[in-house]
Amino acid sequence: MITLQEAEAGVAYRVKELSLPVNLERRLEALGLIEGSEIFVLRKKRRGAMIVKVRGTRFAVGYGISSHISVEKGGLSCGA
Amino acid sequence: MAHEVSIGFVGNPNCGKTTLFNAYTGANLKVANWPGVTVEKKEGSFRFHDQEYRLVDLPGTYSLTSYTMEEQVTRQYILSDEVDVIIDVADASSLERNLYLTLQLIELGKPVILALNMMDIVEKRGMEIDLHRLPEMLGIPVIPVSARRKTGLDILMHAAAHHRNQGHDLPLIHHHGNDGPEEHTEQTRHQHQHHKEFAMVYSDEIEDKIDLLIPLLRKNYPELQNYRWHALKLLEHDPEISSRYPVECPEALSKSYEKEIINQKYDFIDEIVQEVLVNKEKKAAITDKADSILTHKWFGLPIFLLIMALVFFFTFTVGDWLKGYFEMGLELFSGGVRTGLETLSVSPLVISLLVDGIIAGVGGILTFLPNILILFLALAFLEDSGYMARVAYVMDSIMGKLGLSGRSFIPMVLGFGCTVPAIMASRALENKRDRYKTMLITPFMSCSARLPIYVLFSQLFFPQCAMLAAYSMYLLGLLVAILCAFLIHLFDKKHTKENALLIELPEYKAPSARTIFIYVWEKVKDYLTKAGTTIFIASILMWFLLNFGPNGYSEDMSQTFGSMIGRWIVPFFAPIGLGFWQIVVALIAGISAKEVVVSSCAVLFGISNINSAAGMSAILGSLGAMGFGPLNAYALMTFSLLYVPCAATLATIKKETNSWGWTGFVALFQIAVAWGVTFLVYHIGLLLI
Repeated sequence: MITLQEAEAGVAYRVKELSLPVNLERRLEALGLIEGSEIFVLRKKRRGAMIVKVRGTRFAVGYGISSHISVEKGGLSCGA
Repeated sequence: MAHEVSIGFVGNPNCGKTTLFNAYTGANLKVANWPGVTVEKKEGSFRFHDQEYRLVDLPGTYSLTSYTMEEQVTRQYILSDEVDVIIDVADASSLERNLYLTLQLIELGKPVILALNMMDIVEKRGMEIDLHRLPEMLGIPVIPVSARRKTGLDILMHAAAHHRNQGHDLPLIHHHGNDGPEEHTEQTRHQHQHHKEFAMVYSDEIEDKIDLLIPLLRKNYPELQNYRWHALKLLEHDPEISSRYPVECPEALSKSYEKEIINQKYDFIDEIVQEVLVNKEKKAAITDKADSILTHKWFGLPIFLLIMALVFFFTFTVGDWLKGYFEMGLELFSGGVRTGLETLSVSPLVISLLVDGIIAGVGGILTFLPNILILFLALAFLEDSGYMARVAYVMDSIMGKLGLSGRSFIPMVLGFGCTVPAIMASRALENKRDRYKTMLITPFMSCSARLPIYVLFSQLFFPQCAMLAAYSMYLLGLLVAILCAFLIHLFDKKHTKENALLIELPEYKAPSARTIFIYVWEKVKDYLTKAGTTIFIASILMWFLLNFGPNGYSEDMSQTFGSMIGRWIVPFFAPIGLGFWQIVVALIAGISAKEVVVSSCAVLFGISNINSAAGMSAILGSLGAMGFGPLNAYALMTFSLLYVPCAATLATIKKETNSWGWTGFVALFQIAVAWGVTFLVYHIGLLLI
């Protein structure tokens, strides 16, 4: 298991765990990013923000969030 | 005539809700704030088939929990009796995410109609949505529309009119989980019983708890309308509902079922999407291709800078070209009024007030309208195309070094247009510290009201490189903003949280002409209103101060009140190259609105058309005689860029922070920064000359 921050671009992952402040977790939930969601990394910079696709929608996610989401390789389909 | 039908428009941000709303109401809408909070409320009305409709555009939101102000406002409004029908606008091209809000809306128990927007994009991508199965599964009418092409609008209103008195009366045929006999047996017990009433049936564990809670709620709170929804909220441990309708039922409420409820909603959505979406993801979206360039690791930033440079290039060149016609008109008008009044032998005092005061002040400002129009047009284009959100991503690493998230950069870019909406846009920042910091530095971004100052003085004193001189102001403003943020960050490091950028990147789309038109028209209207009110009054006041003194009306301006006030404050401005009482008076007046610096100069130097060639040579002569040279002009531009934002901005900061102390601090901080930077600019300039 790795953090989303360490994930590679162009690969589908599955969210295993979120460890963020309650408010942030709620916002992510409303956007469909919860335990078990499939997440596809579209682009990333070496450090800092990345663009991901969750349930058909693109998001820019900062380091402070992506480093607190654990993911595991192998979503069912590729999200792109 | 039947009574007015109230329709609430709800939807995710970027789903085209506002475009659809505008398609019905056009530009005639009332914009106000929701009572008690600074969340915008838009209302419009129109007639259709002998029926009055009142449309309310609710804030864009992803969900209806109560964690943000937008969500609370939307939820409370829907639960109130004010609304008859809800139109849930969904972006059909990302149905999966949009349906989450839809399910929540259906649970609220009011009549809901799903408007599937952007069906044209869905078709273009080779996808199809089963419009027969989707309403069956949801139990509400589903109407395909295209807000941009204006298709399906009448049908949607028909549906709203017919659906308003009915809850969900469509028979629901919905399977939960697979049809396989053994694996999902625990999900089947409730479905037949609940099916007819609710789109969404939860697992037995949750349904059992709901069945426990509903009788209790019914007993304790007979006035409630939707028991199922309230029971669900209690199970989620929703703070608002739990405190308002407490229920004693430990066997159901000992733990929060929020996660389970959310997960099951998404499971159901998965089911829906699998059934109704045909040819999913057949064609790679253009958005991904565009993003590979626009958000590129290295090219992203230069491309952004280039786009902004283009925006300002158009603002100056196209704006200046259009401005020529405005000036001709104004010159004819002002000359005509003067001769007209003279032939009627009106008293010279009145002529002076009208021509030198009002026409010079207000008219002078109106000639800058084309520049401002082009600027807002460009900003509207950037916002509506979906590019603005990318700017947050592109700028995130730079902003991170300043202790801010990339999202703070959006208010800053909007600040190029007008500081007031930019300050309001800082609401999108969750973190209060980030918000205050953004509010402190956003006024340094050069707004369109400061444009007339640069245009006038750079054309006067730097005729060869006027555009460069004006452009340098924008860069200077940006630089000062970044520097301030950086210094604050140095002192504030221990409070800085980790960078939590989170922003949706919508699909790129061709901007809708109507949306842009309405956006720009709103801004132009604001500008004209400002010219008619603030600048009008300021011009009269300036005319009075500059024509009257302790001894009454005075031909000699140095004997007037204006000159006395100016002279008194001059020592403060002398070290920064602005030790001229006329300029001081203009700058003080400029706090009402920054354009007033220019209109005041027009009144001060008695020039009726300040933006024309003749007006310019006249003002250049007067200024030259005072010893006011190019360096002083540059100092004036710098000071105007940075000093106290206009009264409207201060009022907005007060409203947003609800603190006079903070507002006063912002004002003083900005004067201090303006003075310091201008001092540096002036003295470095003196050394160079």
